[in-house]
Amino acid sequence: MSFESIKNISLYIIQRIVLTIIALVVLSFITFSLSYIVPGDAALVAAGPSAGKEKIEQLRVEMGLNLPFYEQYFVYLTKLSRGDLGKSWFTHQPILNDIKDLLPASAELVFFAMLFNIIIAIPLGVLAATKRDSKTDFSIRILVMIGAGIPIFWLGLLLQHFLASETGLFPIAGRLSFSNRNFEGSTGFLFFDSVVQGEWGVFWDSIWHIILPAFTLSVLFIAVITRTTRSTLMRALEEDFITLARSKGISEYRVIIKHALRNALVPTVTILGMQVGWMMGATVLVEEIFGRPGIGKYAVKAVTQSDIHGVVGVVLIVGIIFIFSNLIVDIVHLFLNPRLRKNSIGNL
Amino acid sequence: MFKLFNYLRSPIEKGAMIFVVFIVFIALMGSYLAPHDPYEANFKNTLSAPSIDYLFGTDAAGRDVFSRVIYGARLTLATTLFVIAIVAIIGIFVGIISALSGGVIDNLLMRFTDIWLGFPPLILALGFAASFGAGMKAAILALIFTWWPNYARLSRALILETKDKDYILSAKAMGVPNLRIIFSHLIPNAFDVLFVQISLDVAAVILVISGLSFIGVGAQIPLAEWGAMIADGRSASKAWWVVFFPGLAILLTATSFNLIGDVLRRELDPTLSKVKNEKPS
Repeated sequence: MSFESIKNISLYIIQRIVLTIIALVVLSFITFSLSYIVPGDAALVAAGPSAGKEKIEQLRVEMGLNLPFYEQYFVYLTKLSRGDLGKSWFTHQPILNDIKDLLPASAELVFFAMLFNIIIAIPLGVLAATKRDSKTDFSIRILVMIGAGIPIFWLGLLLQHFLASETGLFPIAGRLSFSNRNFEGSTGFLFFDSVVQGEWGVFWDSIWHIILPAFTLSVLFIAVITRTTRSTLMRALEEDFITLARSKGISEYRVIIKHALRNALVPTVTILGMQVGWMMGATVLVEEIFGRPGIGKYAVKAVTQSDIHGVVGVVLIVGIIFIFSNLIVDIVHLFLNPRLRKNSIGNL
Repeated sequence: MFKLFNYLRSPIEKGAMIFVVFIVFIALMGSYLAPHDPYEANFKNTLSAPSIDYLFGTDAAGRDVFSRVIYGARLTLATTLFVIAIVAIIGIFVGIISALSGGVIDNLLMRFTDIWLGFPPLILALGFAASFGAGMKAAILALIFTWWPNYARLSRALILETKDKDYILSAKAMGVPNLRIIFSHLIPNAFDVLFVQISLDVAAVILVISGLSFIGVGAQIPLAEWGAMIADGRSASKAWWVVFFPGLAILLTATSFNLIGDVLRRELDPTLSKVKNEKPS
């Protein structure tokens, strides 16, 4: 690697980090506006309906609502830097603690949905691209269209009804069966903790519980990745180096997997990375249906309880996950794509 | 519009087109077609199975699911088109400013869109709903906030591609005012590709709106909205029809729009045909 390209890479990474910081500031400003500015008089709400004028005035000073806007924002930022997201009105716990407890369940769900996504979508995309314009390609295209058009919450309800309630093939809800309810692990990732502790029964139980919700969550994302893989692989298969590889007599399988797919997967990886944030957001549709205690279910509950700080806490955390997964993807992308390394600065 | 019919190749694509026309017709004429009042509760006839009188059965309040699905078409399509119109206008505006000013302004605007591009709308909508109260307003606001960057990016790219073409330069040289060039050359030129994007976005926006209504953030019961109807039907697990038909309506509508968008992309999007025909360099 030449000095020039090292310089380019570091410049690019520095620029991305600055952007990430700006994005975080914008995000914090939005969550601040949502929780402090918009809901009208927060002191009035906090004091309750029977409070007198002096009491409300006193609360206003206590909550810092008499301060100018930018000072309130500054106070909010200092609170955030201490990890103080406020207290939940319905769990009576600090919101950060709530989210810490619930995040592993959601992360576990997103992890398995991503696993389904990769093991289903990429082979489907490869199949469609290599059998271009065939019946297989056409059927995959229709499947993709349906996958991108199906409301996943409805699919979840149907799967739950037919595969769990009616036939009992899968558990209806929760993360573990009743008999395993006392299982506790250090990380909160049940499939991981159970293996560490050698509890294989719990391991299979947790997997069994996650299949339906994870599949439900993954459907829309599978459609997107299948499409992307198909079109990028098709493009890659038309490149000169593929013709060259073929003319050398390398087997078609090796041409596709070793040469074409490696190049074609670069954009796919980028999109997979962005999907992490979207999946975290989409847990609000799935967790509630399958009774999984995660941040999605928590956010929905908080909305129905008008717990502004609870909701905004989840908005903030998911936003941070989204911003950071994009940063990681951009940096990974840099190392996967040599062309970008050379030209990245020119296009900024 | 008639050209569109010539683009359709397979029976499935034709079916999708027919369904799109059908659902738009339902949305426009719903109030004349619905056999019952979608909001009239009848507690003597709750959760009755589909029959000749009530084609899709009745819900827990005895309302006719068939009529509610019909009314839902108007609500869903109108909201979706409204959202897309607003985000397209904002996005095209930002895209044009970005492309034509170039330099620092372009850079700043595009970095700002980067921040927003793809921010999960579902989660932001929860925030809006907690702040302003749940309702279609929160859902629409969240969608507008998160969706416009797509159009800003796209229209910027399209304008950059055309703004230095000979006929634009000669129009400029002849003293045609800038605004006129923008409105009579640059925007119409970008229209095909933007139209493809719009038709593909219809499905995505429908899914987000109905999803938000399902979790109680968008439309509120008893409003006849498909997602809200599904949420309402969950409590009665034996009455499958209350959940099934609104979901089917979403599935068919979104999938049909996806297919039509896909056909349009195949036929209209020059970036795609370039890939097809051009030798890679």
